[in-house]
Amino acid sequence: MVAETWSKQVQTSSLTFDDQGTELKRRRQRALEQFEQHRFPGRKHEEWRYTPLSRLAAGPCAPLLESSQEIPFCPDLPGDMLAKVVIVNGEFRADLSDLSRLPSAIRVQSLAQLRHSDPDQLASLLDLYWTQDSHPFHDLSDALLDDGVHIEVVEEGAKIDAPIHILHVLDGQARAGSAHVTGLIQLAAGAQLQLVEEIRSVGEVLGNLRWGVGLDPRSILKRVRAFRPECASIYHGTRVVQQQDSRFEDLFCSSGGELIRNELHVSHEGTGCHCDLLGAYAGRGKNHLDHHTTIDHKVEDCTSKEIYRGVLSDQARGVFSGMIHVHPDAQRTDAKQSNDTILLSEGAEADTRPRLEIYADDVKCTHGATIGALDEDAIFYLRSRGVSPDEARKILVRAFTSVVFHGLEDRQLSDFIADEIQQSIDPQGTDHE
Amino acid sequence: MSGKKENSMLEIHGLCASVEGTEILRGIDLEVKAGEVHAIMGPNGSGKSTLANVLAGREEYLVDAGTVQYNGIDLLELSAEERACEGIFLAFQYPVSIPGISNAYFLRSALNAIRRYREESEIDAVDFLELVRSRMDLVGMDEKLLHRSVNDGFSGGEKKRNEILQMAVLDPTLAILDETDSGLDIDALRIVAEGVNKLRKQERAIIVVTHYQRLLDYIVPDQVHVLSEGKIVRSGDKSLALELEKEGYSWLQADDARAGNNA
Ligand SMILES: Nc1ncnc2c1ncn2[C@@H]1O[C@H](COP(=O)(O)OP(=O)(O)OP(=O)(O)O)[C@@H](O)[C@H]1O
Ligand SMILES: [Mg+2]
Repeated sequence: MVAETWSKQVQTSSLTFDDQGTELKRRRQRALEQFEQHRFPGRKHEEWRYTPLSRLAAGPCAPLLESSQEIPFCPDLPGDMLAKVVIVNGEFRADLSDLSRLPSAIRVQSLAQLRHSDPDQLASLLDLYWTQDSHPFHDLSDALLDDGVHIEVVEEGAKIDAPIHILHVLDGQARAGSAHVTGLIQLAAGAQLQLVEEIRSVGEVLGNLRWGVGLDPRSILKRVRAFRPECASIYHGTRVVQQQDSRFEDLFCSSGGELIRNELHVSHEGTGCHCDLLGAYAGRGKNHLDHHTTIDHKVEDCTSKEIYRGVLSDQARGVFSGMIHVHPDAQRTDAKQSNDTILLSEGAEADTRPRLEIYADDVKCTHGATIGALDEDAIFYLRSRGVSPDEARKILVRAFTSVVFHGLEDRQLSDFIADEIQQSIDPQGTDHE
Repeated sequence: MSGKKENSMLEIHGLCASVEGTEILRGIDLEVKAGEVHAIMGPNGSGKSTLANVLAGREEYLVDAGTVQYNGIDLLELSAEERACEGIFLAFQYPVSIPGISNAYFLRSALNAIRRYREESEIDAVDFLELVRSRMDLVGMDEKLLHRSVNDGFSGGEKKRNEILQMAVLDPTLAILDETDSGLDIDALRIVAEGVNKLRKQERAIIVVTHYQRLLDYIVPDQVHVLSEGKIVRSGDKSLALELEKEGYSWLQADDARAGNNA
């Protein structure tokens, strides 16, 4: 029944778009049919086995209304940002964004703008990242493709020093609903860019956010993703295509969320690529934090480092499924992966599945997963210095997650985010019956 | 030295404690007055660290009998963190390492917790750094260690110095130093001991647990106690330590045998 509502809603909504490009039209139509056919897969589907999509299917499918407030809900992130892109309930808001200090090396426009001005280019960009295999969220994004952002560093070798701040606001206060955002990023050869993506939500909301990232040779993209406290249900998916000697550094941070599905797919197409996939997350209550990553090492001499660390209390659940696929030609691949979880309560649960598929013989792949508790000796050590048990646990949580923040140069920002994660845990780990 | 201090800072009577059902302390009596330094010596496994941990409030050790009064309050009623806030400090025999948290962050969290307990305002980053720097000089510690993770990868000696640094910053009323001298080289021993001496004051008492007379050359104790099988079997002045250095603990067996015969 609920899925019925969804597909009706999607049908109706998708009719409101008057696409110009035939390719775009075709894509939309196809996605519509695919969603209609598969909707939200059940637990039997391997990729979705640990993800309670039924919770989403029962959730709000209507488009979100325009947000009434200014930019609400939580204190601003610190740090000097070069520009600000604000996307409210799926709509690029030029009035709230600030692009005035952007150098000419970089172009930022709304996806809606691109959709109108050059639908064929948009369609071919989408083709780069999203094949037309069925995926419930990508299908929804295609079927309801409307707005988002397109960021291009067009000048070769341009180094953009300060980060661009991308703020998603999901406001379901006026009416529960969903928003679908597509972001596209293209870096020219040798270009360097930093992004700080922030997700704030309030009310009953489903956010469906996806990114396609293309990195030309020797370019470097550093991205921080901050899911702010009390996050609603979010799908966040990124497809990265890396050319020779490019570098992608991603830091996922979440201080809890109703249901967060974090998907990353990085593909190394040229030799000498590197990616860092780092994550720190804290879950409480009935939070569900779900990470699915795939690194395709397709060619030789590429490296990857993946560290995800989670702290779960109450009845929170963490899922990590990390695929490292080393193709036959990818000799001398060096891939490291680890997922460590601390459980603060009996009711919390972590499922971790490292998956390695290695078809080359001269490779170094290491992976490890641990699930444990906080060190009681360290808690006593802190207590013997006057620190309360609750604060001691919070300090140890911070210690545990700190490794993923090492690479972040902006100490102010990393301290702020680490604080937010630290403060969001339930130090007693209480099981609410 | 003739004061009118009739009240002891610490009064332990008949203290018995056990861990996992094994009795370890079997009736300890000890009185320590403000301004005094007491040394506790005794063979391995005699219960010295257990006594130190019981005083610091470690819950694995069950107090089966006895009382501990500290500045007129029932110490055994307080949690470990309350004891620390009331001015008790234990320098660990085996300091714990905490990867991921800098020494500075650790110390500041501790200092602020204590200040909040005392209803004082929290110390800001600048004042804190100034305080820590002056204390690091006192114990001859390299400032680099301030920004490293707590005891993580520290050498044995660095860990012990770090304990004394914490003591110097947290400014306790009663400090219990559990084998702070072991693992220190000769120079470090002198520097740490001098640091401790500088921290001696009229309002503070110090209990040093040690195996070596050498430390007591620097930190001259008012009293020396020998702990054996969970009991204080002998107490005396600093000459007792010299005697032990010469004779070891073989006389304990003889005493035991005598006690056995008498029974
Ligand atoms: N947590 C524990 N579990 C089991 N036994 C313990 C525990 N702590 C102490 N003990 C035992 O209690 C006895 C006293 O230990 P304690 O550490 O107090 O000795 P100590 O006098 O400090 O010795 P050392 O000079 O070697 O440091 C030992 O036999 C020890 O094995
Ligand atoms: Mg000991």
